[in-house]
Amino acid sequence: MNRCKRIAVTVLAVTAMGLGATGLASAQDAPKGDAANGKTIFLRDGCFTCHGRSGQGGAYNGPAPILAHTALPFDGFKGQIRNPANDMPAYSDAVLSDKEIADIYAFVQTLPGAGSPKDHPILNN
Amino acid sequence: MSKRRSSPGSSRRNFLKGAGLVGAAAAVTPPVAGNAMPAVPADKLKAAIPGPRQVAAETMPPGSDPVNQTSSGGDYMTDVLNSLGVEYMTINCASSYRGLHEAIVNHGNNKPEIITCVHEDIAVHMAQGYAKIEGKPIAMACHGVVGLQHATMAMYNAWCDRVPVIVFGGNIMEADKRAPGAEWLHAGVDIGQIVREFTKWDDQPASLQHFGESLVRAYKIATTPPMGPVFIALDAELQENPIPNPAALRIPKFAPVVPPQGDSGAIAEAAKLLVAAQNPVILCDRVARTPAGMANLVALAETLQCAVIDNAGRMNFPSRHPLNQSFRRGIIGQADVILAIEMNDLWGSLTRFSDRIERRSGPAYKPGTKIITLGVRDLYLKSNYQDFGRWQDVDLDIAGDGEASLPALTEAVKRLVDEGRKAAFDERGQKLAKAHLAMVEQSKIDATIGWDSSPITTARMCAEVYNQIKDEDWSLVGTSIRLSWMHRLWNIKKPYQWNGGSGGAGVGYNLPASLGAALANKKHGRFTVAFGGDGDFMFGPGTLWTAAHHKIPMLYIVHNNRAYHQEYMYLVAMAARHGRGVEKMDIGTTIKDPNIDYATVARGMGVHGEGPITDPKDLAPALSRAVAAVKAGETAVVDVVTDPR
Repeated sequence: MNRCKRIAVTVLAVTAMGLGATGLASAQDAPKGDAANGKTIFLRDGCFTCHGRSGQGGAYNGPAPILAHTALPFDGFKGQIRNPANDMPAYSDAVLSDKEIADIYAFVQTLPGAGSPKDHPILNN
Repeated sequence: MSKRRSSPGSSRRNFLKGAGLVGAAAAVTPPVAGNAMPAVPADKLKAAIPGPRQVAAETMPPGSDPVNQTSSGGDYMTDVLNSLGVEYMTINCASSYRGLHEAIVNHGNNKPEIITCVHEDIAVHMAQGYAKIEGKPIAMACHGVVGLQHATMAMYNAWCDRVPVIVFGGNIMEADKRAPGAEWLHAGVDIGQIVREFTKWDDQPASLQHFGESLVRAYKIATTPPMGPVFIALDAELQENPIPNPAALRIPKFAPVVPPQGDSGAIAEAAKLLVAAQNPVILCDRVARTPAGMANLVALAETLQCAVIDNAGRMNFPSRHPLNQSFRRGIIGQADVILAIEMNDLWGSLTRFSDRIERRSGPAYKPGTKIITLGVRDLYLKSNYQDFGRWQDVDLDIAGDGEASLPALTEAVKRLVDEGRKAAFDERGQKLAKAHLAMVEQSKIDATIGWDSSPITTARMCAEVYNQIKDEDWSLVGTSIRLSWMHRLWNIKKPYQWNGGSGGAGVGYNLPASLGAALANKKHGRFTVAFGGDGDFMFGPGTLWTAAHHKIPMLYIVHNNRAYHQEYMYLVAMAARHGRGVEKMDIGTTIKDPNIDYATVARGMGVHGEGPITDPKDLAPALSRAVAAVKAGETAVVDVVTDPR
């Protein structure tokens, strides 16, 4: 259980740094995906276990990044799935096809991102 | 004498007389012819002619078996326990310590108060949770063999958590006193051996005076940093039989050990490094032993205006203190000096580690960073279980209790701070305060994601609970694995508002340890609140019966993700690594089909139950009712069906 205590730089941070350096394509350049199928896969294939059903992020060995309405370009998103930084498991095309990744990407784009804490007074206690 | 007398005249005190009788009998009984071993020649036998006493012993019928006694060893044991101020003894009743049990109830008038538990694991975990709130141990008692085996996991948690617990295990040392059947199954030559690798000390007293000295010694050892559980085997004869000579017994005097401070020269060297540093970071885990601990750490941090990363093994540092950077661990990479105080896993906190096919690791700090350690943990280690963690290179290793050494270190720092350094410190502090505030705001923003989702997000759950209890004199005493929203969102600032985790990461800690903490909080009138996973809950749901029976108020939130979720994620990772489908990884890792109704379980145990709550809109009303029940003196369980993390 000591694995639970490991310190890991967030996948999001690492990925974002990589994207910044390479200037990959934006979200608008992503292949068209089927968000409904993406949701099915997201909930079936374990994405939700670390990232939450709402894409709100969570924790595995270290923090698991927020995916809701992600600003990550598709290529970076796919790269993280195929050859992830840190402890995220790598999903080969035997497990997730490129099409399925595109579907997942389309799904997380549909998830509402963060709102304003002002809309939820109990967050300001 | 006790019922265990196996034959007239054969008690321990009659042992020598019995031997004499055997000798006399041998003198008059010829050896069996043929295959008998050659005996001493008959002409060498010089047995004395039996005297009147021996003749009487051989010819008179045995005396009547005494049926009453006016004292018991258990009375003395009770007196020793009370001399130490042990307030409670958590138990699962067992015949091997029935003498002590009865003595506590009648001789001690139920002081220490017996807390009835339905499992030994619950009883030890309650003691662990209690000690971390009250700052002193209570006792736990069980069968020395079968009960102790149940108790071991909790004792290991207490060991890893450096928490004092006094564990008693009943035993029947003398074989000729054991009744046929269970007493043989429940006795051992060295019953403490199964817990010796995770206790600080153990003993099996052979006399009452021995017991008195052992218990006081055990108490002292358990409460001397690094603290830990101790074990005493209680001989049943010793507990049950009359006190042979009460006037000769004394209760040993207990004087607590003053925790050791770090060497003054080493403290001065540490101060020099810290004052000269551009980006010092304090890393801590189990610093606060008493309410003074947090104040001492705050004083040092504020003097240095440096970052504090709290691993939260105790209530070390206020969650909203501007210097609290616990959720900005990346700053370890900027540190030029790291002061690690009472750390449990220093290497783990200073290392980047990848749980990949090839497990790789490397330092999270930059080359040249000076690492100072202050603590007592390494002063008492054992070999088998590897809770000491991997070796970490350090530059200055100070053996000294963290809490006790902090005032001297703070004063040493103050002596070295000139106006120039003070200005630099203030500038550093302002930057850290700004970063802390940004971190808090970001946490609030992150918490909004999925706000109205079902299953309920853990952020929403924690925010709703805080909203209900924030105006109470609350004490948070439990959380589930990786549930950190309380430390991100709540204003945790009083010494009793957090007490750390399980220590050994042994599942089954949260519910009973939280109730133990609630027991300690009860007399202070505090409102105890705890979170725990559903998997953890099912290791000891009987804890709730104890809560009802002893009327211990507590608000317990079941973080019900219907899984052993950490393991679920590990299995998904395994399947992905092996290039196989991950869709079946719920097999063996989830707790569903059927879903467990924890509120009904709670009501069945005699406490208030709410849930299962699946719609976030239903959470506030359910919590409100539960809070009212707790304020009325009950334990209340709220089953919140949540997203995993």
